[in-house]
Amino acid sequence: MNDDYLWDKTGQPDPQIQQLEEILGTLRYQPRPLALPQKRNYFPLLAIAASLLLALLAGGIWLRVRSRNTTPPQQAKVETPTPSPEQKPEITPKPPETRAASNPPILARNRIHKPRSASSVLREREEALMAKEQLLLALRLTTQKLHLVHMKTQPNQIKNQHRVG
Amino acid sequence: MKTLLIAIFLILALVLSAQAQQDSRIQMSGLDHLAAKANQTVDVNIDERLMRMAARVFDDKDEDEREVKKLIANLKGVYVKSFEFETEGQYAAADIEPIRTQLRGPGWTRLVNVTSKKEGMLEVYLLFNGDVVGGLAVLHTDDKELTVVNIVGPVDVDKLARLEGQLGIPDLGIGSPKNKTKNDEK
Repeated sequence: MNDDYLWDKTGQPDPQIQQLEEILGTLRYQPRPLALPQKRNYFPLLAIAASLLLALLAGGIWLRVRSRNTTPPQQAKVETPTPSPEQKPEITPKPPETRAASNPPILARNRIHKPRSASSVLREREEALMAKEQLLLALRLTTQKLHLVHMKTQPNQIKNQHRVG
Repeated sequence: MKTLLIAIFLILALVLSAQAQQDSRIQMSGLDHLAAKANQTVDVNIDERLMRMAARVFDDKDEDEREVKKLIANLKGVYVKSFEFETEGQYAAADIEPIRTQLRGPGWTRLVNVTSKKEGMLEVYLLFNGDVVGGLAVLHTDDKELTVVNIVGPVDVDKLARLEGQLGIPDLGIGSPKNKTKNDEK
């Protein structure tokens, strides 16, 4: 083996040294131009954001259109109310038209946080009492129907219960 | 492009699931024209705001009222349309079809369907959001009567049924001999 090969690459190289040179040669420094990182592509993120915005917008419009098409909730009315014995004397059902007309000013006043007058409080209470009456009427009707279903679906069971009772 | 499609799909799925969760309100405005033919009409529209207002005037000292207040605590609305007619055939099946179409929608399950000669057809539907009841609908169609009840929100049907005899809700005396007519069952 010629020691000069390791010093100045002259003379006969050793096969093992040559093999090592070949293996390690792949890791040798190779000058190349500086590669700057590529500009990030924001298109997918922008697309997602735009889709979300569009969906929210469409949903909002849809809800608004839908709520406009529905009957106003303040127009609760019973054209032929059935007076119940539990009805309190101060609850005097007003015609639905007047009640529906009186609702928006109450809402408007609430929104601008002005101190509420006694009359508006009274009117609001009256409206609440009216709503309560309507609610009870609706529950009464629902209960009647549910019991009718109950009677029809479990006639034998009910009959037996009465026999026992 | 693939990401965009996935995003759109996800948004659609979210919107649809949200819509399915809150759609226990049934549109009944198509029945309004029947009021002119009916000799008795009940039209109740109580939305969440009115429900909260009504809840405030319930007397907490009264046990019955406290029960009703508890029952309506989480409800979002109660809507009723009921028509009673002098004669038969005042409404057509087509009038109820829009209601039925909505009740055939996703989430709604027909719990009971009772048909009798005397009482007509009574159907009870529940809207399930997963395992939770998100709404109730009762449809009663008779020769001379049409009633649609829609309760929006988590309703406890058992509690509702237990209200009989309270707050002027009449005690129907289930099982009493006069109420029980075997012959009218189909």
